[in-house]
Amino acid sequence: MRHTRHVVSAAIVAAGMLGVAACGGGGGPAGAAGAKELTVVMWGGEDQKTHVRDAIEPWAKQNNVNLKQDEPSDYAKFQTQVESGKVSWDLVEVEPHFATKACKNGWAEKLDKTKIDTSLVKAELTGECAVPVLEYAFTIGYNSDVYSAENHPRTWAEFFDTQKFPGKRGFWKDATGAIFEAALIADGVAPDQLYPLDLDRAFRKLDTIKKDIVWYDSGAMQQELVSSGETPLIQAWNGRIYRAATAGRPAAQEWNQHILSYDQLVIPHGSENATTAQDWIGWYLKNPEAQAAYSNDTGYGPVSDAAMQHIKPEVATELPSSPQNAGKRSTIMNYTYWEQNYEDVTQRLEEWRAR
Amino acid sequence: MARQVTVPSTRERASAHDADPAPAAARTPRRARSLLDGWGFLVVPLVAFLLVVFVLPLAFVLTQSFTEPEPGLQNYTDFFGSPVYLDVLANTFWIAGMVTVATVALGFPYAYLMTLAGPFWRGVLMVAVLVPFWTSLLIRTFAWVLMLSDTGVINTVLRDIGVITEPLPLLRNLTGVLIGMSQVMLPFAVLPMYATMRGVDRRLVQAAEGLGATPLQAFWRVYAPLTAPGVAAATLLVFVASLGFYVTPALLGGPGDVMIGELIAKQLSGVLRWGFASALAVALLVVTGLLLALVARFVDLRRMLGGAR
Amino acid sequence: MTSRRIVRGLLGVLVGLTAVYLVAPVFIVVPMSFSDSLFLKFPPTSWSTRWFESYFGDDEWIASTLASLQIGVLVTILSVVLGTLAALGMVRGNYPLRGAVAGLVLAPVLVPYVIIGLAVYAMFLQVGLTETTLGFVLVHTALAVPYVVINVSAALFSFDRRLELAAMNLGAGPVSAFLRVTLPLIAPSMLTGALFAFITSFDEVVTAVFLSGPDLTTLPAKMWSGVRVQIDPTVAAVSSMLLLVTLALFGGAGITRFVRSRSAARRNEPTTVSEAP
Repeated sequence: MRHTRHVVSAAIVAAGMLGVAACGGGGGPAGAAGAKELTVVMWGGEDQKTHVRDAIEPWAKQNNVNLKQDEPSDYAKFQTQVESGKVSWDLVEVEPHFATKACKNGWAEKLDKTKIDTSLVKAELTGECAVPVLEYAFTIGYNSDVYSAENHPRTWAEFFDTQKFPGKRGFWKDATGAIFEAALIADGVAPDQLYPLDLDRAFRKLDTIKKDIVWYDSGAMQQELVSSGETPLIQAWNGRIYRAATAGRPAAQEWNQHILSYDQLVIPHGSENATTAQDWIGWYLKNPEAQAAYSNDTGYGPVSDAAMQHIKPEVATELPSSPQNAGKRSTIMNYTYWEQNYEDVTQRLEEWRAR
Repeated sequence: MARQVTVPSTRERASAHDADPAPAAARTPRRARSLLDGWGFLVVPLVAFLLVVFVLPLAFVLTQSFTEPEPGLQNYTDFFGSPVYLDVLANTFWIAGMVTVATVALGFPYAYLMTLAGPFWRGVLMVAVLVPFWTSLLIRTFAWVLMLSDTGVINTVLRDIGVITEPLPLLRNLTGVLIGMSQVMLPFAVLPMYATMRGVDRRLVQAAEGLGATPLQAFWRVYAPLTAPGVAAATLLVFVASLGFYVTPALLGGPGDVMIGELIAKQLSGVLRWGFASALAVALLVVTGLLLALVARFVDLRRMLGGAR
Repeated sequence: MTSRRIVRGLLGVLVGLTAVYLVAPVFIVVPMSFSDSLFLKFPPTSWSTRWFESYFGDDEWIASTLASLQIGVLVTILSVVLGTLAALGMVRGNYPLRGAVAGLVLAPVLVPYVIIGLAVYAMFLQVGLTETTLGFVLVHTALAVPYVVINVSAALFSFDRRLELAAMNLGAGPVSAFLRVTLPLIAPSMLTGALFAFITSFDEVVTAVFLSGPDLTTLPAKMWSGVRVQIDPTVAAVSSMLLLVTLALFGGAGITRFVRSRSAARRNEPTTVSEAP
């Protein structure tokens, strides 16, 4: 009885103190009058910190902009903010199929061409509302203990050959993970005739290895699967393999037939700091050193050719657009197709997975 | 609400603790019941709170199942038309059911031993049962992956000591899901059962044995019924909480172990089909509600969980 | 007698194995948090405390931990109060639509958190409650309160109301009888409910991700934020520390009780019946 009373009174006192503190907490600090603000949102973690530090902070300091970061990018939050009119995100990294959809639906601001010179970046990676922010590739990842530089699949056809190269195969759960593209290429479709995707043919090809497929949901899981050997062969994101390898894990990748992909930046419609965001984008495209700094730190490809000069040689071999690798590319992901078909293909993939 | 089904008479006879808390002398004849008496008022704060904070926002989202992307029942026809969603919904209940059985079965002896143990061991057991609570979801599931995979801790150890030659498939299948989910659900089962068991007067069991019952009979007909509210609370808690799980099954299970939460999350945050996601959630709610209503018909839930006479 | 011993013995073995099962991940998580690698590896090949340093050196980690603690405590108090009152009303009271009320109280556990998260996010954006302690407390209380209600209801149902009547017959008022007779006896279940409520809030990630932002982030949201790309091993360090703190709290409480009961026994005083921890 006494015990309970003590516990209860202690709890009340603690609550009281915290309650008082709570009244003070929450709610952001008011910015200095006149100072510009920019809230940047990317995929989070160390990579985001590095990216902001390398590519945005220098400009922010020069231009007296108060930088805030949020993480990770979330499409549902994006849409909710725009539809409610209370937009707190100013610059968001997204996948191109979402960028296209956002632009179509009026959820994203159109690029201000007076500030932004889109001719500085590859045209096929740029949209009305979006500029590319980095390049990456879907490659053939392998565990270097189980397979080696001499012995591993060098084409997607070989990747799908479980006789010659036994072991489980890892694939990203998401439909835009190049799984269908890889299956079609493996089945003999010419890379420039991939789209629109012949899904029936792709699923038939996937059926041949269905029981060996392990699905991953994140970069972290991907690294774990291939490094531990659970899936000695995996359809990988090149940056993840690069990171795992440099950290000493037994992961490596084959660049032949890699499929190029990219992320884009969009400005949510209704953002109060849209002009500031457009200013930065304009600056970023004109500053290859800033782009290269991020690439040097992470292994993700820069978006303008001019930046390649500033890439360190040891990193260059790891980038999709370096001379060594660019020639081995099979195709670029067609996000126009994906914007239109993401829903349906996702449903078909879910049905196929569950069978 | 629930039809008054006769509780097995053996329970009534053996139960020395009168299930009806009001003593015979104090049972007043049924006068006209006030619609909302003194005690009943106490539910008002919570109901009001939930209506504002929970029902209001939810209503907007769930009605989207009928209005997005166009008004109509399109989302529901899509749901019934596609084999995968019905299967996954059924699978969700199946997995939740198995987890419930496993945790209550393991949790009952655990809670029972806690009541028998001395303060030190009770403390140890209590700390052990709270450990899954304190390891965050992300790290806990990752740890299970590291433990259960073919090259993971368990298989490596078993191989090294020669018990097995081929790795046991403990991951990416139902086994992995059950292992992972039961661990985190055990505290939800053990604690309510323990709380109830503490309140059971063990002298009743001794009395029954003194009157000639075997230990098994005394346990089954005296002790177990007295722990029924705790067991019922545990069952309800674990089952209902398990239905919403999807992170753990997604990481530990195979494609055949997908639970509906994962699909709802994908539709909501990935594909942005909010109307369809809401329809899936409504389907989950409706089926769960029907299930609980069904259970309430056969088991007088009021006796289990409480209710006015 | 020996059959009872055997049964007890087997019970002990079963329970022991269950305890090991419960605790198993600890043996992975704690060593992992001392690993020098950028990746969560087990067993670690090189050792270091860098992830603990990373935690303590980063304002954001500390801030999110404090936020989660603050929110957790407030949620616990609010949900125990609302939940206990509701449980009393549900078990003892008369009111219309009993089934609907029961369903409403249970509903937060039934609806997928991702739906609740989106719904609440949309509403809170309008009233400016995103990234605020109050906003979090409101949502988490809704999510936590069913656990309190279920636990306290079970206790109230087992509770013999004649004790209360006896107290009143002896002169206590109804409120006094409740506070001094009923409450202490249902306290273990209230504490269980409080524990569940705290954990529900402290560990909750889905709605937290919606409501978090640069101005206020909870610990689970911070842990999950980078997971698409890479898991920050600091997460393992955080888990280890949480485990350590829990161990210290419960261990400390246990030792205090042990010492107190020992010294009381020595002095031959009646001890209080040990309550739930």
